[in-house]
Amino acid sequence: MINNFVFVVLFLLGFYAILVKKNLIKMVIGLNIMEGSIFFWFITLTDRGKMIPIVNGTQVASQLNDPVPQALILTGIVIGASTSAFLLTLIIELDKFTSSTNPDQIGGMIED
Amino acid sequence: MSKTKHIFAVLILSLLGITLLVSLSKLPNQFEYANSIYHHVVNNSITETGSLNFVTAILYDYRAYDSLGESTIIFGAVSGIVLLLSRKTLPVSSHGLSFIVKRTFGMLTPFIFLFGIYIITHGHLSPGGGFQGGVILGAISIIFSIVYGSEFDYKRYSPTTKTLLETSGALLFIGLGFMGILLGGNFLMNLNILNAEVGSLLSAGSIPFINIGIGFKIGAGLAIIFYSMIQKTFKEEVDL
Amino acid sequence: MIILKYLLLIFVMATAYLAITFEEELISIIFLSIFSIILTTLYLIHNAPDVALAEAVIGAGLNTAIFMTVISQVREGKDSIFREDD
Repeated sequence: MINNFVFVVLFLLGFYAILVKKNLIKMVIGLNIMEGSIFFWFITLTDRGKMIPIVNGTQVASQLNDPVPQALILTGIVIGASTSAFLLTLIIELDKFTSSTNPDQIGGMIED
Repeated sequence: MSKTKHIFAVLILSLLGITLLVSLSKLPNQFEYANSIYHHVVNNSITETGSLNFVTAILYDYRAYDSLGESTIIFGAVSGIVLLLSRKTLPVSSHGLSFIVKRTFGMLTPFIFLFGIYIITHGHLSPGGGFQGGVILGAISIIFSIVYGSEFDYKRYSPTTKTLLETSGALLFIGLGFMGILLGGNFLMNLNILNAEVGSLLSAGSIPFINIGIGFKIGAGLAIIFYSMIQKTFKEEVDL
Repeated sequence: MIILKYLLLIFVMATAYLAITFEEELISIIFLSIFSIILTTLYLIHNAPDVALAEAVIGAGLNTAIFMTVISQVREGKDSIFREDD
């Protein structure tokens, strides 16, 4: 329950940054926070309160957590890092041509 | 203008928040399915793959095709970044930090490298694997650029070396995949040639080798991304 | 353990809020790094050590370096680090 509340708060904070902020870097930071909130929610939702899914031969299967969501989230974290690196590269290029990171200014320059 | 936009954003956010909270409160606390893949993985993973870490068993054996797609995504990101930032001058640069920091990091580098290699090769026995260890290896190149200056990084660990490492890692991964077809199975089959005891370093069939391939690929790819980003940009005179 | 978890949940919301509301990008990036470190601890509490290792290495280490690089590239040629017209 408290995990769901924290997830909603973090997700809305990230979404607020993307909607309102006038700085492309701050928008990427908001995107990172949204990503982190979703990963956190998924890990806490599938946590059964049991042991970590690494055995040394003595544990039995019913004592272990679910390893499948953890593998999915591991994939998601790496992909999130590469996409945010690509977004930041696009920001560098935009700044090189327009000398600005404000999306409104950049939009005005490209329309004219 | 800005005020109405702000109010509109807050309205949308509050609606979204109420919807999320109401719908999430209706979820069950524990997900227990009768025929879940969890039961198959937890009960049969050690006999099928030989890996003690079940997350690694899923990432590099049951769903190794996903890891191949993930490596392809990283490769696409690296290619796009290098393409976008290609018209740059050679690495310029800083002379690095002070003498004390340089010597301290010089003593620390072998241990960081050893830690990365440990994380990669023990991925099937302890937490870790190719992705995490690869990022640690890539971080060594980043610290080289910061501490010793980017010229040092360019000379010691040139972009050609990084490209070679990334390509060889990807080729090792795909080669192990095709080896499965040659030996009469399917793509990315777990080749248990060595028949080592479960729990030893060379156990778990081809999982340690896939870990090594992915580790070098990810580490070199992230080092290339950082190297492309620190280059000085031309201030071109463009009139938009 | 339960008290630690609630403290960390409060901290994770506070760092996310501070990372978004600060106008200066450098401070935001530092808070984003702290956000990732607290998420690492939460993953460890929830029995996911592989995910925790990945988040620590990528979220707190690599992302911070890449964001810092972008800041230094974007601010190149501009006069002052702190803008006056906030």
